Amino acid sequence: MRMDKTQRGWALASLTILAISAPVYVLYSFESPQGPHGGSTIGLIFGAVGFGFMLFAVLLGARKRVPTWRIGRAQAWMRGHLWLGFLALPMILFHGGFHFGGTLTRVLMWLLIVTVFSGVFGAALQHYVPRVMTSDVPLETIYDEIGNVRSLLREEADRAIESICGSLGIRKPLGEEGQRAGGFTALRAIAASAVPLRTSATVSAGASAAVVAAPEIILLSEEESAPLRRFFLHEMRPFLEQPKQRGQRLGDAAKATSVFAGLRTLLPAAAHVTLADLEDICDEARQLTRQERLHRWLHGWLLLHIPLSLALILLGAIHAVMALRY
Amino acid sequence: MATATTPPGLVDITIDGQPVRVPAGTSVFDAARMNGINIPTLCHLQNQTPVGVCRLCVVDTGARVLAASCVRPVEPGMKVVTNSEKVLGVRKTLLELMMSDHPSPCARQQNSGDCELETLAKAAGASQPRFAKRTIARGKDDSSLAIAVDHDACILCDRCIRGCDEVKSNFVLGRMGKGYSAGIAFDLNSPMGDSTCISCGECMVSCPTGALTNKSVVGTAIAAGPGAQGFEAEDLLQIPVFKGVSGTFLELNRGAIVKRHFRKGEVICREGEFGSTAFYILEGKAKVSISTPIAHVKTQGGAKGFFKRLTSTLVAREQDKRDEEVRDRTIPIDASVDLSYGNPVAELGPGDLFGEMTCMNFYPRSATVIAESDVVAFEMLRNVLDIMLKNKTFRAQLDQTYRRRALENHLRGVPMFADLSPDFIEHLKESVELQRFAPGQAIALQGDPADSFYLVRIGFVKISENYPGGEMVLAYLSRGDYFGEIGLLGGGFRTATCTALDHVELVRISGDDFRDMVARFPSVRTGLEAVAAERRAANQQRMQMVHNVPIDQFLSQGLMEAQSLLILDLQNCTRCDACVNACADAHDGITRLIRDGLRFDQYLVATSCRQCRDPLCMVGCPVGSIRRRNSLEVIIEDWCIGCGLCAQNCPYGNINLHPFEVMVDDPERAGRKKAAIKQKATSCDLCTHLKEPSCVYACPHDAAHRVDPRTFFADMLGQGSTK
Amino acid sequence: MARTRTTKKLAQRIDLNYFKRPTPLKRAKFWLSLLLPLLAIAWIAWRGFTRDHRVYSNGRMSKAHAVLEKECAACHVQKAGAFSAKAVDSACLDCHDGPIHHAAQTPTAACATCHAEHRGRINIAAASNQACAECHADLKASGNSARFASHIRSFEDGHPQFAALQEGSRDPGTIKLNHAIHMKPIRRGPNGPNVQLECGNCHRATATDADLMYADPNYRAATVSYKETDEVLCLHCETLRTPRAVTGRELMAPVKFANACAGCHLLTFDKRFDDGVPHDKPEVIHAFLVKTFRGYIAAHPTEVRVQRDPGRDLTGRPLPPAVHTLTPAQWVAERTAEAEDLLWRKTCKQCHTLVPFAKTSRRKIESPVTQESDIGKLSGIPAELPYIAPANITLQWMPHAKFDHGTHEGFTCVSCHAKALTSTETSDILLPGIETCETCHAPGQEHSESRCFECHTYHDWSKRKEVTPKFTLPALRTGSG
Repeated sequence: MRMDKTQRGWALASLTILAISAPVYVLYSFESPQGPHGGSTIGLIFGAVGFGFMLFAVLLGARKRVPTWRIGRAQAWMRGHLWLGFLALPMILFHGGFHFGGTLTRVLMWLLIVTVFSGVFGAALQHYVPRVMTSDVPLETIYDEIGNVRSLLREEADRAIESICGSLGIRKPLGEEGQRAGGFTALRAIAASAVPLRTSATVSAGASAAVVAAPEIILLSEEESAPLRRFFLHEMRPFLEQPKQRGQRLGDAAKATSVFAGLRTLLPAAAHVTLADLEDICDEARQLTRQERLHRWLHGWLLLHIPLSLALILLGAIHAVMALRY
Repeated sequence: MATATTPPGLVDITIDGQPVRVPAGTSVFDAARMNGINIPTLCHLQNQTPVGVCRLCVVDTGARVLAASCVRPVEPGMKVVTNSEKVLGVRKTLLELMMSDHPSPCARQQNSGDCELETLAKAAGASQPRFAKRTIARGKDDSSLAIAVDHDACILCDRCIRGCDEVKSNFVLGRMGKGYSAGIAFDLNSPMGDSTCISCGECMVSCPTGALTNKSVVGTAIAAGPGAQGFEAEDLLQIPVFKGVSGTFLELNRGAIVKRHFRKGEVICREGEFGSTAFYILEGKAKVSISTPIAHVKTQGGAKGFFKRLTSTLVAREQDKRDEEVRDRTIPIDASVDLSYGNPVAELGPGDLFGEMTCMNFYPRSATVIAESDVVAFEMLRNVLDIMLKNKTFRAQLDQTYRRRALENHLRGVPMFADLSPDFIEHLKESVELQRFAPGQAIALQGDPADSFYLVRIGFVKISENYPGGEMVLAYLSRGDYFGEIGLLGGGFRTATCTALDHVELVRISGDDFRDMVARFPSVRTGLEAVAAERRAANQQRMQMVHNVPIDQFLSQGLMEAQSLLILDLQNCTRCDACVNACADAHDGITRLIRDGLRFDQYLVATSCRQCRDPLCMVGCPVGSIRRRNSLEVIIEDWCIGCGLCAQNCPYGNINLHPFEVMVDDPERAGRKKAAIKQKATSCDLCTHLKEPSCVYACPHDAAHRVDPRTFFADMLGQGSTK
Repeated sequence: MARTRTTKKLAQRIDLNYFKRPTPLKRAKFWLSLLLPLLAIAWIAWRGFTRDHRVYSNGRMSKAHAVLEKECAACHVQKAGAFSAKAVDSACLDCHDGPIHHAAQTPTAACATCHAEHRGRINIAAASNQACAECHADLKASGNSARFASHIRSFEDGHPQFAALQEGSRDPGTIKLNHAIHMKPIRRGPNGPNVQLECGNCHRATATDADLMYADPNYRAATVSYKETDEVLCLHCETLRTPRAVTGRELMAPVKFANACAGCHLLTFDKRFDDGVPHDKPEVIHAFLVKTFRGYIAAHPTEVRVQRDPGRDLTGRPLPPAVHTLTPAQWVAERTAEAEDLLWRKTCKQCHTLVPFAKTSRRKIESPVTQESDIGKLSGIPAELPYIAPANITLQWMPHAKFDHGTHEGFTCVSCHAKALTSTETSDILLPGIETCETCHAPGQEHSESRCFECHTYHDWSKRKEVTPKFTLPALRTGSG
């Protein structure tokens, strides 16, 4: 969620709520003989309102599990979560009169503070990181499939290499299970000849089941391809298998460029196209690594926020019941 | 040595010391041949225009350089030497050079030992060339079913090209490239099997080397299984329908047609399978049916009930009638008869051809055919069928069968004719003519005076409209569809261009004939006019939907072809998969959107149906079950057999198959049912069963949008926003 | 062979069901989301099982109740069957008696309104001003009388001048005293001229009443004395006593003649004797005089022959004979009358308010010299005793507040009681006014406590009832109860 001018409505509403409740609190704290505390009427109202905000915030998780129920757009829920969740902090502070109280209430207060601030942190991340990801990772793919895509990249690299160096004895991977998207029909083996498209040429712009260029099959000789083979087997393939391992030249864009430039001088012009492809593949692998890192930032904070918020709600409910009891 | 008395039109020359008199214009080669002197050639064939590329036929004519005899016409007094040392030396060198590039022994040499090059080389003592072998391989092309291509063995003699062009006039072959990468190419360098080659075999028989060889020679033919029986060409020619077919052709294509015996109950072909053969029944009866449940995928629940879970189920028309369902009677299949909706079973008998579309255009099988009695049928490949279809006898029989069995249903399928009296229909049936069109041929052009009505018997016809912004495909019509009814009522021009996409056969009713008939049945006219008016109004409406912005930048991604894109604003998107989960939730666990694809500016164009203006997915459906409503949404009718062709055709991979578990008849135990997985094609249906697309609704970060690309990106593309 | 990217190729890399698969992130989220709340529940459950409810406590107990830190049930009494376990007044009253402030007060506050627990180690008796102001800010509205100031919010806001110092109030004491004269250097002191008296020479806290500087032991045995426990009855209401003095230093002891005055103010009555009369009731003095003179004339029988002293001739009186011999009894009577004349008309009257020949309270005394009852008539000596008004010394000027001189002993008396230096009238009230107290007792950290409870109590301790103690040490030690 970007903090842009579409948030104005909610921001104004929240500010209004705060602007109304702050003076109420100030007045109440001056008037109450024992000072403001949670058990007074106004204190209870603040507590109930704050807890209500927290409950709404926690229900976002439930809302996301039933995305198609028409109970309000996910966007509205998200904005509500952000703003009302944030407001829960001042409400609870007003509820407790800025006292942290006994053991349970102290724990709750800290849980609330950490939850709200981790939420603010997460919102900030969600404001900035998507932009960074968009600009830094043009070849982005789906995070959960990065492993799969990496293995496809490895296969592609293998094929590219083998097309000019001949077989390198790399083991072919087994066929994948599961159904692939993009029009794959998983249960049916398609005949080798692809079905021809009988359409006018201008329309098949972008069509991929189209003309395949005549393969310019150029095989390099043993000695010509030696540097390439060495590079591939010792550096590139390990890199594609373990891109995150430190100390690899290919892990750094500038170094990789110079590595490939070097290879270009060593190999005949015929191999340069393949080299360019390999360089692209390395670049894509690097981008995927970057994407992983950014993605973990973008989603990692939830590992703090969500469990704490659940604990908060639970303990908050217990507190509400017990405080009213006593 | 010319004498003074050389008659006009004749020329006297000397060949190897022999005086020869030949008509003017004869080539030296022919002159030699006529006199029993054989000059070796590689690129010259008698039935083809000589080109003189191989230079093997060079002779010494006393000029400064040696002359290629096949292209050199005789001149009076020419002294030709065909076997001097010099000439022989040159030939040997030539052969050596060619052998150095030749993968000897090539396929032909291996199989029949008659590779012309190798034979000549051996005769000239040039079998072991001095020159290094070529290191760059030009590759093989195994895509054709009948002919194997080995580019390495090709000596670029041009025979195949001339054979395809001059002899058979198919114009498939050509040359491409230059230098070491020069070679022959099919169409625009498609693999042979993907090209417009009809496997007539002319190139193959013309080829001197093993570059083009018959696959049956190298081991591939129609899979000979139990019950398959090859036979001699003479036997085939005994059968009346084969009358008139060239014996040589059958000879050459021996593996391309087999006779099969099927026992009662045996499955001849299954719906959805890919194939490349057609069947012609000689004896016996077969049952043709569709075993996939006749039901469409409906996602329901949720919209009405608060807690009801959205599930996708298969429902038939009785439970869920959708608007604009045009076909309520018949399901078109690739046979001489169509199946009725309520009971999709029909019978095929002797003289029936089925699998024509599969064979000619490689579309998947449209129905399941099971032998009801012992059946004897021919299974043939495309090259044979192609010839058959050109054969008059065969055609006549096909026409008759069509008229008898399917034409009436097709005519009744046209709403205009649905309620016409049987007399009228009889008249109509008699006045129809069947017309064939080749791939790409225009049937009618937008703006032409409309004068006929067409009904599609087989093949795909593209109906498109041209408007200032470009071309928009309105529909792809297949078997049983019709167009041009405006033309029947007189006046008016074609509102759209109709083009044949593949081998199309149409039923044509000319306007004049029709109007004559209508004059005899006046009650028909009012009804027809109403329908015509409706059609015109619908067309008007459609034209208004089309926008007027010509943009080229999108072409590479095909974005302008889209009428509705699902874009994800990457600057807001947190990659949380809420949209995908929502889509899956709304569609029984199978998502119809993938969060990967190409980007445009800061937007990711998600892989989800784009409601293309030219819906490629609709081309080729064997049962014509995918079409588009006026609301742009793609709907897949009840009889989708799950073959997956639309999924393959979609250039963006937006269609996937959704497996359902259904109870089907157990083939092993009659009368019992067993569980099987049937697939139905699904694609983004814009969640029309809900008010808003689920993905857009469920995105918490205001990142998912379904937009019309032209208005949405109007500012970016420098166009004013148009409405 | 350049790489191409098309939508279809990209899509075909993706598994259609990828989003359903478990991923490390999802798993971590799930397990943490399960673990943390379980931990929280486990913590609460453990506390529940060990019956340690302190986790729900809102803060530590006050200083007075610190021993009850673990004894939640001491105050949070759970009624059988009900879930609620509020700290109700009945629980407080199990150990404490908090008598009501005023029988007729309309809003009767619960104990917790003023005495809030769980605020940490504070003094729980310290109620806030607002609690008092609940009624006293607008006393009329709370249904109370108009006798008291009706808009008191705090010491500095609405608290009236002390009742004793209100307009027109006078010291009811009948002992005439001019403080100003006594504060100046006294020319004729007992031990020499120019004695400067200090406040402490006469005024002491009740506990340290001994050995004042100008005390005269002769007078200690006098029957007239003030009991320290005498308190002036509140004229307005007979209720509302402040708690009894604890240390003895709270109030000043009443100034007694024997301690403070006897050193300078001699009660001599006749030149023949050095000693004075006892500081006692008139009857006692009369008896003493008669006895003393009897004793003297018995010791000096020749004194019966009285010669007329021309210095003592008074106009208006019949001249006594130049010499006359009296009987001893007559002589005693004559002398007694003269002494009493001196005393009643001058000496005692100097300080006491007395009516010498009070017509209203004529008392005939039984004189031992009954046969000479007409002697009085002859000499014109009165035979009646005077009426001496009760002293009416106010012991506690502010019965509705508690003031402790002990805590203020760091200050010089004059710094608060400045009026003493200039007071000439007995009726002057030398109590410092509210402005003196407000010098130190004001809100703010640099001032002394100025909240209501510092001087006033809510509870009417005169109605205090004894409460049966509830706790036993062993029980507290073992933590049960």
